[in-house]
Amino acid sequence: MTQMLKARQGKITEEMEMVAISEGFTPEFIRAGVAAGRIVIPKNKLRNRTKICGIGGGLDVKVNGLMGTSGDRDDMEMEVKKLKIIEDAGAHGFMDLSMGEDIDTMRTMSLRNSNIAAGCVPVYQAAKEATEKRGLMVNMTSDDLFDVVEKQCQAGMDFMAVHSALNMDVLNILKKSGRVADVVSRGGSLLTGWMFHNDKENPLYAEFDRLLEILKATDTVLSIGDAIRPGANADSLDQAHLRGLMVAGELTKRALAAGVQVMVEGPGHVPLNHIPSAMLLQKRLCFDVPYYILGFLATDVAPGYDNISGAIGGAFAGMHGADFLCYLTPAEHLGLPNEEDVRIGVETTRIAANAANVLKRGGAAWNRDLAMSRARVSRNQEEQVKNAINQANLIAALAAQKPSHGCAVCADSKCPADVAAEFFGIA
Amino acid sequence: MTILEKARAGEITAEMIYVAQKEGIDPELIRQGVAAGEIVILMSSRPNINPVAVGKGLFTKVSASVGMYEVDDTIAGEMAKIDQAVKAKADTLMDLSVRGPIDEMREKVLATVDRPVGTLPLYQTLAVAQEKYGTALDMTADDMFAMMEKHAADGVSFLALHCGTTMDVINRAKEEGRIDPLVSYGGSHLIGWMVHNHCENPFFTQYDRVLEICKKYDVVLSFADGMRPGCIADSLDGAQVHELVILGGLVKKARAAGVQVMVKGPGHVPLDQIQTTVSLQKQLCGGAPYFVFGCLPTDSGAGMDHVTGAIGGAIASYYGADFLCYVTPAEHIGMPSADDVYLGVMASRIAAHAGDVGKGHPAAIAWDLEMSHARRELNWGRQMELAIDTETATKVWKDRSTNFESECSMCGDFCAMKIVGKYLRDENQEARN
Repeated sequence: MTQMLKARQGKITEEMEMVAISEGFTPEFIRAGVAAGRIVIPKNKLRNRTKICGIGGGLDVKVNGLMGTSGDRDDMEMEVKKLKIIEDAGAHGFMDLSMGEDIDTMRTMSLRNSNIAAGCVPVYQAAKEATEKRGLMVNMTSDDLFDVVEKQCQAGMDFMAVHSALNMDVLNILKKSGRVADVVSRGGSLLTGWMFHNDKENPLYAEFDRLLEILKATDTVLSIGDAIRPGANADSLDQAHLRGLMVAGELTKRALAAGVQVMVEGPGHVPLNHIPSAMLLQKRLCFDVPYYILGFLATDVAPGYDNISGAIGGAFAGMHGADFLCYLTPAEHLGLPNEEDVRIGVETTRIAANAANVLKRGGAAWNRDLAMSRARVSRNQEEQVKNAINQANLIAALAAQKPSHGCAVCADSKCPADVAAEFFGIA
Repeated sequence: MTILEKARAGEITAEMIYVAQKEGIDPELIRQGVAAGEIVILMSSRPNINPVAVGKGLFTKVSASVGMYEVDDTIAGEMAKIDQAVKAKADTLMDLSVRGPIDEMREKVLATVDRPVGTLPLYQTLAVAQEKYGTALDMTADDMFAMMEKHAADGVSFLALHCGTTMDVINRAKEEGRIDPLVSYGGSHLIGWMVHNHCENPFFTQYDRVLEICKKYDVVLSFADGMRPGCIADSLDGAQVHELVILGGLVKKARAAGVQVMVKGPGHVPLDQIQTTVSLQKQLCGGAPYFVFGCLPTDSGAGMDHVTGAIGGAIASYYGADFLCYVTPAEHIGMPSADDVYLGVMASRIAAHAGDVGKGHPAAIAWDLEMSHARRELNWGRQMELAIDTETATKVWKDRSTNFESECSMCGDFCAMKIVGKYLRDENQEARN
């Protein structure tokens, strides 16, 4: 049985209890959230790990990192290093997006070397193998796809991005209405190519029940891939995007009915003025299931700094209800991130998540900000380090500072600022 | 006549024409904005310094601050930071030196740069008083005004003054039990001086003198906020709002005197209070440009506060803030290095631009659109040209990719743009046409 089905029977699982403790809620609150689909707990039945997190309504915003081999850069040891950096920097989940030579071995290594929620995108491996086995990606069969989904679930994947919300309707609207950057999702583009070439409906949509059955067996969380996410601010909330979101909503309902935990993936490039609407539409059309977003990127023009563009949009989206932020690194739009990029990506995204999390007055993030501020007033550096979001980063930054003598303008005489401190009783 | 008076008289000055061209709008709109006090033009008597306009309907601007603070800071060291700020395209600079050869430093900056420079004259007043009297607490009101006039006469474009930090405001902060009442360096010293001397703030009691000097040199008055919240828990507390109410009254007087004025703002503000913070300032200060420091939507981002500041700055800009004071990765830790300055300016510029896109600034939207077209075409040369930081983007691209003709190394052969382009491009082109 999945966490959701157990929750509906009134059962509070060990995982729900763990989430309740870490988030400061009652186990009953978590159970009710999981039962309704507002909260997901990614935890494959076949994979043992100790760091469990919940994602969704009322909980802290979580952060996801990405790693994986690419055809151009295929170094599995390096990807394991990145994974360790992702986990050490405080991400709650990661996705192995490998498309290199040996995807199965890479996945085994990823799962073995991590203790956080693991995700993947089955269409990548299916497309890669079809190219090898059948000459061309477009020769991939529906069975090829579902075999990979099943293999990855059985291997222990906790959540899985599946591009089911892309169908002929969506593509027809895309063709009719036009767009600046048609399809920027890698999985989405592979399926688009397959559908046009074969003139056939997307199997992940057409055979959605088959997908649900596979996921249900291991309680792998379905993350409905945003195949049609806007890749330019100019495309945000356009016809194709909204149609895709409506299809995601239709499938969400079916997943909920089947007792399969589900979340929906979102953009992408969204200007600040669209963010409140983009969030509201997802929550409304997708029955309040968690929203897992890539960014949002609040501008298109900052390659080299897209960790920051993503933090801007991610924080604002978090304030408006986004639940899970996929990180962006400084290498986004430019190439495959290196280890340093990955670390910066997680750290930047954690700041964005925290900016949203502090809005819960009295919650853990709020209290940490308060403790940080008090440590600042009392000039207690040790406490400041303890309360920093990115402690390792702060420790390194402090070490790089040249020794400070402070302002010292007043030398031996009384400093006016000290007089002020006495006045306020904080000297 | 000051530029504000000229604007009211219907005159379009050379400065208005210059900034209108930079902004890509009609000079008459600039004139109207200046006349209404919704736009200020930062300018200088120095011929090497070009004017910059700040305010409603214009690009959100970014300012970078440097200055000698530590015993061993040097003019050369600070000028190296200025070089980085200029390279990163900060719109304006502030020299906030508190010690050392401050006059020499200011002269060097003003003689070197081509963009407006702001200062906070109280810093130097404190340092000089310390030398002259043996303690900064013995500084006199005349010292404060003399220093202010000296900076104005030198060609400084905007003067930051804590005119609204009054005894009432300070007492309110004390009564309320503010967590961090001493955030602003100048504010803290001024408060100490006021408390020690049992004396109301001279910038408030002798505000007419402030206005006379500003008018004489046609320098922009930039209200500093002594009660800037230094943690999100203090945001929008009584002391902050009280000071803002007072500043609103002072804005009115400045305008009546023909003096251009803008208002400095926070600081640490949680995301759900940014809109209110900006709206309050706009309403209470008659639409005067808002110059925010951040905003920082969380207190615990130390080490990466340029990111924290970019988040808050973008959202503040979106809600109407006009001018962002940068935040560097060294904020809350120490003084920024030249590299920190560069990164701080870049992060703030991204924030300013994201805010402008959100506000619907046509040129900002057009820039994003051009980049998206270049991406779709996999036109890397154009993408690099259009990047907000061409040098860094090119460096990262060259280092993290292997193929420089077509798709990048993120997806390699499985590049979405490439695959879909094959199937969709022709038909889609028709839909667009």
